[in-house]
Amino acid sequence: MLIENPLNSSELAFPILECFHIVGFAISVGTIWLVDFRLLGFGMLRESPSQLAKDTFFWTLGGLILMLFSGLMLFSSGPEDYYLNYAFDFKMLFFVSGIIFNYTVHRRTVQSDAPGGGKLVACISIGLWSLVIFGGIFIGFLNSTLDIHHI
Amino acid sequence: MILSFALWIQATGFFTWLRGSGYAYPIILSLHMVTLTAFGAMILMTDLRLLGLAMRTRPVADVLDQLRVTKRCGLALMVTFGVLLAGCKAEEYYYNIFFRLKMTTLGLLIIHSLTFRRSVYRRAALMDETGIIPGNAKTAAVLSLALWITVACMGRGIGYIEPPLGIHAALRYLCGGAG
Repeated sequence: MLIENPLNSSELAFPILECFHIVGFAISVGTIWLVDFRLLGFGMLRESPSQLAKDTFFWTLGGLILMLFSGLMLFSSGPEDYYLNYAFDFKMLFFVSGIIFNYTVHRRTVQSDAPGGGKLVACISIGLWSLVIFGGIFIGFLNSTLDIHHI
Repeated sequence: MILSFALWIQATGFFTWLRGSGYAYPIILSLHMVTLTAFGAMILMTDLRLLGLAMRTRPVADVLDQLRVTKRCGLALMVTFGVLLAGCKAEEYYYNIFFRLKMTTLGLLIIHSLTFRRSVYRRAALMDETGIIPGNAKTAAVLSLALWITVACMGRGIGYIEPPLGIHAALRYLCGGAG
């Protein structure tokens, strides 16, 4: 590579970005889950799901942006590591599914406020994002066990 | 004393089994992060409501009181998974500076909750009546956010400290082989 990624010149850049990535994830997905818990009958029951989604909308979006940009920067530090790591493929599959699901089916269900409805949608949403977390954790785990650099 | 406790707990049958099974650690770590995500957002919404930055149209009591039980469940699960993780590698973590910092920050959070529980978190209804969120409530919210974010970041740091461990493990290695 002709141009060195400035992220790789500092040892601290990667872990600090990871912290932003984790906090961004907790904000965005956590606020989505707050609505999911409401759909399942836990937590903020005095609010309707649509109201809750409206109240958390900007925090969800802000968290997503933080997570996405820090994630892209992490990826840029060593794309070949991620390309060869199948936990990364797994994570991206469920991440893209999660985003699409959240802004289509999930949003429609939440806005309809149908009584008792949306339990399945909430479970799918929680499941998809949990799988993203599993993928993320296993990226690091596989990187240290597969010794990808020598493939 | 802490070190001998760490050595004892990681040598118990359960944690030895857990450490030996290849996928147990990352799976528990993932579950730790899943609960962190759920718990983190509830903490965030509680504190942001006190700061007037989220859910402003909802009464403070709605946010604080309704999230109390779910927040406790989340915390209990998160701590359980955390204990499982720490138990697997207790000796290694004893020497890990980020683990020590994380535990210290968690200690500060216990003090935080003892300090502000009565004066802030149990007074949501009063805040709604008067329509004023007092200064100490905002202080509590800022401190809580800062401390929890520190806990998350220190947690990430733990993974960056590699064994070899301190002198204790080195001595055992030299004197007793695999030990």
